[in-house]
Amino acid sequence: MIINSILSFEFPPINELLRWKDVVPGLNKVGLIAVASALIGTLVFLSAARKDPKVAPKGTRNLAEVSVEFIENNIIMQTMGRDGLGWTPFLLTLFLFVYLCNMPGIIPFIQMPATARMAIPMFLAVLVWVVFNVQGIKHQGFFGYFKSVLFPPGVPKALYILVTPIEFISTLIVRPFSLAVRLFANMLAGHLLLVIFALLSEAMFQARDKILIPIGVLPFFMLVFLTGFEVLVAFLQAYIFTILAAVYISGAVHPEH
Amino acid sequence: MEALSKIVKAAADAAAGDEKNIAAAGSAGFAYGLAAIGPGIGIGIIFGSAIEAMARQPEAAGMVRTTMFLGIAFTEALALIGFVVFILLKYA
Amino acid sequence: MLTAFVNINSSAQVRVTFDVVSAETGSEEGAPVSAGPNPIAPEIKELAWGAGSFIVFLFFMRLFLVPKVRKGMASRYESIQADHEYASATRDGAKQDVARYESAITEIRSEASRRLEIARQTLDKERQEKVVQVNAQIAQRRAVAETEVAAARAAAQSQIVTAVGAVTTRATQIAVGVSPDAAIVSRSVQQAMEGTRS
Repeated sequence: MIINSILSFEFPPINELLRWKDVVPGLNKVGLIAVASALIGTLVFLSAARKDPKVAPKGTRNLAEVSVEFIENNIIMQTMGRDGLGWTPFLLTLFLFVYLCNMPGIIPFIQMPATARMAIPMFLAVLVWVVFNVQGIKHQGFFGYFKSVLFPPGVPKALYILVTPIEFISTLIVRPFSLAVRLFANMLAGHLLLVIFALLSEAMFQARDKILIPIGVLPFFMLVFLTGFEVLVAFLQAYIFTILAAVYISGAVHPEH
Repeated sequence: MEALSKIVKAAADAAAGDEKNIAAAGSAGFAYGLAAIGPGIGIGIIFGSAIEAMARQPEAAGMVRTTMFLGIAFTEALALIGFVVFILLKYA
Repeated sequence: MLTAFVNINSSAQVRVTFDVVSAETGSEEGAPVSAGPNPIAPEIKELAWGAGSFIVFLFFMRLFLVPKVRKGMASRYESIQADHEYASATRDGAKQDVARYESAITEIRSEASRRLEIARQTLDKERQEKVVQVNAQIAQRRAVAETEVAAARAAAQSQIVTAVGAVTTRATQIAVGVSPDAAIVSRSVQQAMEGTRS
């Protein structure tokens, strides 16, 4: 009996969890979340920028200043130093956009991180890739940049036959790939975990065998715990994405000596 | 035992007639399981060393934390690639 | 939204169930789509919306939002810094005033103690002089008094000797009938007196 009810639980095909119908033609839920993220970020900063800067900050102004200081103190000063402070708008936008796209994964009734689809992580990773390569070429010249990337100084000449292909792959291919996959896979894995435990507790609570109903509390607690964990992951992934972008840009602007 | 054999039978029934699906499901499980071993150990080592460094020099905790997150990000990427391979094998 | 699929074993039945679900929820809710080959492949419309919203967001942030917020922060920090500097300058001034006041006090105190010392020394000297004077006077008076006492004692002694001599002479006269020699009497009286005194 119980075995039969357990076996009757089936996980839906993954595309039903991830691919969404268009709300209006050409705009689905993921696109809507991305637009909403950009809109929320813009509105918060717009409201913050309109307030009197002389008085003690509170509300949206406080939020905006905390995020600016977080980017400047915890990301730029740690990785790029004082020269990198001009990158604050770009990195702040990156951080806020990724974070605001991650957050819907744990907001009840939305529960879909926009970054759990490959589109946004891929776009952002390609953008970061373009930015750090362009910065490297701009600061070191085309040949200087590729020389410092492909032929890192301080390596015996004979080893270049081994080092150069590795550096080429790791800098120009693995970097954007891992940047995109890290964010995407983290959010997708978190989303699938939440889905699994939500479906499991739902199936348990609605089971025909009454003995399964109290057991359904266990996956429900797991669901609550994982939702708390996802709060952390959403922040951490945005932070890691931003800090890696900062490290890559800094490495391209100031080559290793 | 009886229950276990029932589960196995049901799973086999579900995938019956589709050899590729069985093979894909099995290798998907292997892919993620194997991909999680190395990064698990690696992240443990990174965290342990970071805690040791912070305990020795609490004033350098900020720098250590940033570097720790970077190291975890690089290590974790391997496990996540395994997860992506899992999704590809299972669903693609 | 998310729907549990229970009691479905074959793929044909999955599709049937899904169609029911999509028919129920409709498209305005953003219901999931089953079709599509790969869950990882990015969708063009998502890519376009994500990229577009990010670029617009970045444009606003880069162009005026962040610089404005940053400028506000900088100006507030500067005003706080200025207030801080003003406060520290005021504090330094107050500290200097206190130091000046304290140095004046110590000066006055040392002056007062110097004067006190001088006065004390003067007083001491005068007292010393007075004491010496008084001591001299006392010594003088004592000497005078002593001489007077000595004179009085000598006079009294001679009177006593005379009187005792007279009494002795008289007693001897009465007893013996002969008046003794005055020199012997006086010598013996002298000896007796010295004997009693010693």
